[in-house]
Amino acid sequence: MANKIYKKRILLISVMVLTLSIALLGCSSESVDNSNESSTSESENMITFAWPRDVGALNPHVYNPNQLFAQSMVYEPLVSYQDGGELKGHLAETWEISEDGTEYVFNLRQGVKFSDGTSFNAEIVKKNFDTILTNVDLHSWLGFIPKIAQTEVVDEYTFKLTLKESYYPTIQELAVVRPVRFLGEAGFPEDGDTSNGIAKPVGTGPWVLDEYKVDEYAIFKRNDHYWGELPNAEKIQVKVIPDAETRVLAFEKGDLDLIYGEGVISLDAFKQLESTENYGTSVSEPVATRQLVMNTNKEQLSDERVRQALHYGFNKEAMVEGVTSGLEEKADYILPPNFPYTSSVDVTTVDYNVEKANQLLEEAGWKLPEGKNVREKDGKPLEFELMYDSAESIQKLMAETLQSEWAGLGVKLNIVGVELTTQVERFKANEFDMNFFSNYGAPYDPHTFVNIVATEGFGFREAISSYPNKDELLNQIAEVKQTTDENERQQLYTTILGSLQEQGAIVPISYIKKIAIYQKNVSNFTFPANRDEHPFTGISVNE
Amino acid sequence: MGTYVFKRIITIIPIFLLATLLTFSMIHLSPVDPAEAYFTTAHIQATDEMLEQKRQEFGLDQPLLIQYVNALIKICQFDFGISYVTNKPVWEEITTRLPATIQLTLGSLLIAILVSVPIGFLAGIRKNSVIDHFSRFLSFIGASIPSFWLGYLFIFFFSVKLDLFPVEGTGTWKHLILPSVTLAFPLIALYTRLLRASVLENLQEPYVLFARTRGIHERVIMGKHVLRIAISPMITGLGMNLGNLLTGAIIVEVVFSWPGFGRYFIEAIFNRDVPVIQGYVLLAAGIFLISNLIVDLIQMLIDPRISRKGRQYQ
Repeated sequence: MANKIYKKRILLISVMVLTLSIALLGCSSESVDNSNESSTSESENMITFAWPRDVGALNPHVYNPNQLFAQSMVYEPLVSYQDGGELKGHLAETWEISEDGTEYVFNLRQGVKFSDGTSFNAEIVKKNFDTILTNVDLHSWLGFIPKIAQTEVVDEYTFKLTLKESYYPTIQELAVVRPVRFLGEAGFPEDGDTSNGIAKPVGTGPWVLDEYKVDEYAIFKRNDHYWGELPNAEKIQVKVIPDAETRVLAFEKGDLDLIYGEGVISLDAFKQLESTENYGTSVSEPVATRQLVMNTNKEQLSDERVRQALHYGFNKEAMVEGVTSGLEEKADYILPPNFPYTSSVDVTTVDYNVEKANQLLEEAGWKLPEGKNVREKDGKPLEFELMYDSAESIQKLMAETLQSEWAGLGVKLNIVGVELTTQVERFKANEFDMNFFSNYGAPYDPHTFVNIVATEGFGFREAISSYPNKDELLNQIAEVKQTTDENERQQLYTTILGSLQEQGAIVPISYIKKIAIYQKNVSNFTFPANRDEHPFTGISVNE
Repeated sequence: MGTYVFKRIITIIPIFLLATLLTFSMIHLSPVDPAEAYFTTAHIQATDEMLEQKRQEFGLDQPLLIQYVNALIKICQFDFGISYVTNKPVWEEITTRLPATIQLTLGSLLIAILVSVPIGFLAGIRKNSVIDHFSRFLSFIGASIPSFWLGYLFIFFFSVKLDLFPVEGTGTWKHLILPSVTLAFPLIALYTRLLRASVLENLQEPYVLFARTRGIHERVIMGKHVLRIAISPMITGLGMNLGNLLTGAIIVEVVFSWPGFGRYFIEAIFNRDVPVIQGYVLLAAGIFLISNLIVDLIQMLIDPRISRKGRQYQ
């Protein structure tokens, strides 16, 4: 008996010891790796910054989970998007467009090498385009891709793209981060189809992936073969920190040199860090507009006077200031004026005016019955539902502000928080009264925005169905993409954007901006003009 | 004893099947379309054709029953499918991240045991003493503070202010301390109270009085008899909590940027990466079932009455 108990005890103890030793073994073996890693990294001129997600496989031709900024560090476009919407040659030095707007001939930059030392030429450009075109459906959201008829190598440094029909935004769309950037020969998988994965990330960009541990960090080093001016910093370390508060704490401790992006930390945290005056901070030019979309398919909202009344009926400036601590700017236009063709849009800007709002509602026949606080017409109450992304605190706060502001006008606003995907789905299915939306930013707009407005099944086209000039607008949108005349294009955009806004179904609220906060030893931080590009080219860190 | 073990293992199969059915139905009852989620997270406006093509690629165009049976057949072959997002096998994705989670779980389990056994035991044998009050306070804190908040507090004091530990990441034993303690805190609260109550209960048992009348030394009675029997409910708790720990690690992994599979799961939920969600839930169910089985077996070794009881009524 005693022997039996003894045996059992031995078993119990050994289970415990095993548990203990596994735990300790785990720690000790890991620590060896780490000592090597930290010794290599600390001695160099390296900038450490945090990103919420792993950088991904760095495949230039696919989307999730590849992070745009990281793709833009390794791969380069033919054309780059600069401040104010200027398009400059990058891997293509110059280009010629045929009279009818269907043939694009690119003169490629000579002497460009991939990070493995191989040459960049028309052959590899064609190879990249062809692999993209094998999955044309996946990339058809980018307007020019489904329009490509032919890709051609003219000579070693001349590449020709032929379109099925004229499409002016082609050059602008070539500046996007994915899928039209170039992978070196050694990066292609055996079957040549990059949609299933790449062999290794070989690009022409200023950075090369040096060290990588999934979900933990990625270290990029300078590409010694880079054709352009070499970056100041020798290395960029991207730490994966999914939680915004932890990013702030890591930054305060000095583990991070830089926090950068849109919504990467809370606005309160940004303001708090800024107020310490221990750090450098920057706020970018507008990258997009936060808009409120009203569905004119809904009976109450089909009346322009009601839409205008709602626009006049809230203090936009105070709301933006209050909700975003002044980090976003009150918007007067549905697209920021620093985008191509958007600076000369002529519309009546709307300022807070409760009196006018009440007057418009009265005119539209919405009266406030005695003893009630919601306006009615033919026995129906003036009531709407506003849908917002429950994960986005700014949308929620704005929805709450609108609810209380409009209550003062006798308008009942029900607000409902949904998941992002549900928000998109309901918008597309036209199952909403009001919704928040924001445009795509550079280098996608304005053409992508007007395109979405005109395409069936994306919500906008259905939402503006009560516009009397709807058909004319759709024609103009179709025309603007095809016209080869610069002046005509500008005129068309001015008319389209002006008309869309003037009729009140799309209400501009604020201009979204990027933030950056950095330690005092970081200098020359500038925001890229392209919303999705990385900001590391000129940045340096003083030892 | 053999029959008992056999019976326990057999009952696992229908429970596991039920878990697969529940998981599958819950995921597919969600109103969010995974194809739509795929494009939303990539910031692409998808056309109907693009969505249709993705649905076909994901096999979502087939009837639900066929999808379920196919998934079940694959699971039996340890094939959890391909992640919608990364295009890699889910099993590979989970297993590369699992070691980090196990490390965290074992670390916190160890801390929980090392702290709660002495405190709970002493609190039990010295009722209303200082240590008893301390244990009550500890349990109160552990049970009421949410893990993520505790995590932030730890980071703020021990990493940012005192610079004793790193804020995030893995590598050294120092990286493991704060997340493990955060994860262990609610367990400490639970086990300390559990052990204390169990010790108090055992002190009332006739065997203690009998041992005392036999003149056995108090220390021997406490250490050899009371503690050994009193610890039994705690071991049950441990087994139940092993699964909890693995899943509870999700929040701690996010706060401390721990590269485990809990964090990966959170991302999968946002991306509606169905094969990953399915794989994770089934793995968690498996771990729950197996850890409960192991606990029952250990219980039986400690207290043979458990298996004997079964035999009595046969």
